Amino acid sequence: MCFRVLFIMIIIFSGHAFADGIVVDKVYHPYVLPDEQEFEWRLISRQTDDENLLAQRIAYGQSVSDNVMIEGYLIGEKTALEDFKLQAYEIEVRWMITEQGELWADWGMLFEVEKQHNSNDWEVTTGILFEKEFGRTSLTMNLFGVYESGESLQDEFEAEFRLKYRYRWLPQIQPAIELYTGEDYIGIGPAFMGIQRFNGQKQLKWELGFIAELSQTDKDHTLRFALEYEF
Amino acid sequence: MNKLQYINSLLILIVLWMPTYSWAKTKLFYLTLENNVFTPSELKIPAKEKVKLIIHNKDDKAEEFDSFDLNREKMLFPHKKAVIFIGPLLPGKYEYFGEYNPNSARGIIIVEVSNAN
Repeated sequence: MCFRVLFIMIIIFSGHAFADGIVVDKVYHPYVLPDEQEFEWRLISRQTDDENLLAQRIAYGQSVSDNVMIEGYLIGEKTALEDFKLQAYEIEVRWMITEQGELWADWGMLFEVEKQHNSNDWEVTTGILFEKEFGRTSLTMNLFGVYESGESLQDEFEAEFRLKYRYRWLPQIQPAIELYTGEDYIGIGPAFMGIQRFNGQKQLKWELGFIAELSQTDKDHTLRFALEYEF
Repeated sequence: MNKLQYINSLLILIVLWMPTYSWAKTKLFYLTLENNVFTPSELKIPAKEKVKLIIHNKDDKAEEFDSFDLNREKMLFPHKKAVIFIGPLLPGKYEYFGEYNPNSARGIIIVEVSNAN
């Protein structure tokens, strides 16, 4: 069932994706722990023949119940023409719908609202988060619907799909393959994630991925890195 | 395929994707956390079968159940019972520990082909 759905998703999104902007970001897991707080830093560096873009996000998040977490982001960007500056703010809510392992697969939802710093442009995202264990491997998939609106944006609905297939080798090193689709974009590449535990609930998670765009002949590479400190 | 048809296709896929409940009877197993020690320290469960693990935290402080082997993390609130679904797993030994007291709060889930109790 899972691979049948996955196959259908890839076929559909490979031909008919709508999203624009940076598609490569993070594949979300559908889990929330109560009494958890976190600081997060993400870096995305995208290189094409035409431009270099560096985006960074810092965030603070806190679980507000057994299954809901709220996270606020500040997003900064640097392009070849502009220095690094604050670009947008975002608030994100993650909702763990099912208990891990209870059903055939684990489910969650994600809601995001993003506002551009210097313009009255808004982006609202709703997404489904999915994870399924296969022995020591885990398949994680995200399906997002994005609505953009504002003074310098044409109102439009977009869709994005993200996938990660991870081998839980060691806590600190878990190799994975990641796939991202968006408008005119199909990217795939290797990724790694890991977790280092400290005293009590404190732990540091890291993620690194190198995603190459497949559907175009031009150069389009994205390096992503994320650090998450939970306490 | 236009945009509307595309969105319809997405909705169909989402419905296909949605959670399906399993009505099969899930076996129950029990652990107790008391004085920062899990008992029994070795718990046998059947292989290739999903089980429901109920952990009663009898201590006055919270603990966090953590197991990389089982791929599970769960907060155990004081004087409350928590439920963790495990498996289906292959036969073997799967370690777990309590994040706040990792030296004393430790245990092993032993997954066996038969005679689990």
